[in-house]
Amino acid sequence: MSQEKQILFEKDELGRTISRMAHEILEKAASPGDLVLIGIRSRGVYLARRIARKIRDISKITLPVGVIDVTPYRDDRAHDPDAKTAGALEAQVRVDDKTVVLIDDVIFRGRTIRAAMDAVARLGQPKRILVAALVDRGSRELPIRADVVGKNSDASQGERVNVMLEECDGVDQVSVTRWQSRSAV
Amino acid sequence: MRNLLSIADLTNDEIDEIFDLADGADKLRTDKSAADQIMATLFYEPSTRTRLSFESSMHRLGGAVISCSDMKASSAVKGESLADTARVVSSYADVMVVRHYWDGAVQAMAEHANVPVVNAGDGSREHPTQTLCDLYTLKKEKGELRGLTVVVCGDLKNGRTVHSLVFALARFGAHVVTLAANGMELPHYVLERLEREYGYSLAPVASDDLSGVVTETDALYLTPKQPHQLALFTQVDAAMQSRLNTMVSGLRYDAFYMTRKQKERMKEGTTGGTYPTIGPSFLKEHRFKDTVVMHPLPRVDELSPEVDKDRRGIYFKQAANGVPVRMALLKFLLNRRETKRIAGKRTASFYESPERLGPKCTNPNCVTVTEPASTRRRFELLSGGPGGALLLGCIYCNHRFKVQFVGHVKSKRYCAYDIALADTIRGWLKKDELAIFDSIKEAEELGYEPYKSGPQRTVMDEQEIQAAVREMSRQILRECQDPDRLLILGIRTKGSYLAQRIAGELAAQRRQKPEAGEIELYGAGDEMRRIFPDDEDAPALNLKDREIILVDDVIYTGRTVKSALSILFRSGRPQSVRLAVLIDRGHREVPVKPDYVGKHIPSSEKERVRVKLREAEHDEKDKVVIYSMISPAETQAETIA
Repeated sequence: MSQEKQILFEKDELGRTISRMAHEILEKAASPGDLVLIGIRSRGVYLARRIARKIRDISKITLPVGVIDVTPYRDDRAHDPDAKTAGALEAQVRVDDKTVVLIDDVIFRGRTIRAAMDAVARLGQPKRILVAALVDRGSRELPIRADVVGKNSDASQGERVNVMLEECDGVDQVSVTRWQSRSAV
Repeated sequence: MRNLLSIADLTNDEIDEIFDLADGADKLRTDKSAADQIMATLFYEPSTRTRLSFESSMHRLGGAVISCSDMKASSAVKGESLADTARVVSSYADVMVVRHYWDGAVQAMAEHANVPVVNAGDGSREHPTQTLCDLYTLKKEKGELRGLTVVVCGDLKNGRTVHSLVFALARFGAHVVTLAANGMELPHYVLERLEREYGYSLAPVASDDLSGVVTETDALYLTPKQPHQLALFTQVDAAMQSRLNTMVSGLRYDAFYMTRKQKERMKEGTTGGTYPTIGPSFLKEHRFKDTVVMHPLPRVDELSPEVDKDRRGIYFKQAANGVPVRMALLKFLLNRRETKRIAGKRTASFYESPERLGPKCTNPNCVTVTEPASTRRRFELLSGGPGGALLLGCIYCNHRFKVQFVGHVKSKRYCAYDIALADTIRGWLKKDELAIFDSIKEAEELGYEPYKSGPQRTVMDEQEIQAAVREMSRQILRECQDPDRLLILGIRTKGSYLAQRIAGELAAQRRQKPEAGEIELYGAGDEMRRIFPDDEDAPALNLKDREIILVDDVIYTGRTVKSALSILFRSGRPQSVRLAVLIDRGHREVPVKPDYVGKHIPSSEKERVRVKLREAEHDEKDKVVIYSMISPAETQAETIA
């Protein structure tokens, strides 16, 4: 299906970008102690952990990292209790009066972030919510912005941005691939 | 002494206790458990089942029943207050069962009664004993409530039984799928409470008829929160949507709970649209072979007669269970006549006006409005509403509305509520020095003087506002994909005026009026309606695949827009939402960004930006003014010094 592949980031650049994002997040926070990072499952979580590590290196502060899952809760697994705990939220984070940074790999239409904001509201009342994304594809369908962006991409509607991370894909790479519309079949 | 006003008055253990008593109803009967006791029934609204089953229950317990056959023939017509009726009837009976057409009326009576009071339905609010019967029937049929999937369908907006039922199912850990008739979705406050108190999450799924459940439903799916897992169903993208459909088809439905169209509670001209019904085609579907069909009765035409003969139609059983359950409840309450009332099941801070005048509930059917003399004007004070608003929640009808003006009791000063005052006001509330007013007139009537705000300066005049609206409209038209799908939605109230102006501009530019509506974030918070109703019978606004332009006057923290987005996505599946604001003053607290801005006005947090529109202000021209807020705390210090 994929025809050509354009590389946005390789390993080294990805590391530098994450480092820059960590600095920007620190700059935007009134005090670093206020920050809570929340990764959006699943790649946002790995990114959140990497950013948290970077921030620890920079400022010696260990930030809490939470996880939000905005994928629909799959009902076919509802009667299997093991399946549920497998991807469970690892750390319940306190968000009241904190600056929450929602972290995702790609921000595109804005729908995930909107859903994530509702999910955060269920955890408590944060003072502020910021959004950090590794890649901003633009083409928003909702009035949502990203505050910290790793790289802007002008990938078109027919293209796909693939974020691969060592933690889950064995390699650090961000690429754009073109794919033919399936509806043509 | 205990009352049953809301299903929330009973703990899960107590509900189980009542069910155990109901299982032993025969024993309660032979024991004559309520011998020498009297139950009074006061029904201000017609009822057959509820009233007869209560009276039958009391007779079977060996007690006696007194009642007024028609409240219209009672002293209520002579103008006797609810409070007086409650006091008087208390001395005639040992327990009172009341149904009333005002929201919160039964609670008002309970406050003045000396005997337990049971709510048999108050306005469009709650009907807890029906809920007990429903839960009992479900439990009898299915064994356990936890883990059941119950579809509630039909009129979910006006049906009081449905609201009570959904909360109760949530408490017992059942899954709820809602299948609302068009425009009769669960009110926003019900959803909010489900989320806040029970950790339920939901997703829009869409349809008009039950056979469509599999492929597309207009329903919300709610599920109990898993320990340490946040599950959220939402519309994310096409792939996600198809997974959602798979999920819905994979569901095992344990029960369908049908409701009747509540014609008597609907406004004229809102009865259009289709209503879900259950008939032979439902019964033939294999996947519904173990699905029971419930209905609180009376029914109109939602259930076809075929269902009556089927083993799955259990609504007559459900009605029959009304007697053992109500016997159990009466026994339960009469047993507890000597126990002290459990106070403070809620922890929120209550506000009761220290002044003779104060805020009034904005729900016209609330007992505090219809008969203020029988009530105490007490409210829950909730901070952190959209836009940092301070909200009052009526404890009688649960209606919410915005605080308009605040005053300081000791210094007799008042000002309009502003988010910048939040901390100061919390301090006043702690010391009982907070007065809340609905209007300046009220404050001045009590001799309050305004806090002086700093000098005003005009940052936009009439022409500039007009030019900005025109330019935004041009951009909107240029950037929209399909002008016929545009929906201009203003956030009430100033956003609505601007939305109308934008719609007017668009009409002038393309000679066709786009659809315009408004969204209400306060009150029940689920109101979305047309601004220009061309047709009285027009169905509710359809958001599906629309290009929505959300309009507000000023964007500041962004929280208002965030709340509006939440409501939009609960109500439908728009193709896109873009945001138009007249003024962007910065200081965002959530990641929301307007697409169209009339003017950027960088301002400090101590300043207030006010958009004045001729639609809202009397004899004033359009303008935008900015002034700095003098903190009431500072002026107080001055006067003391």
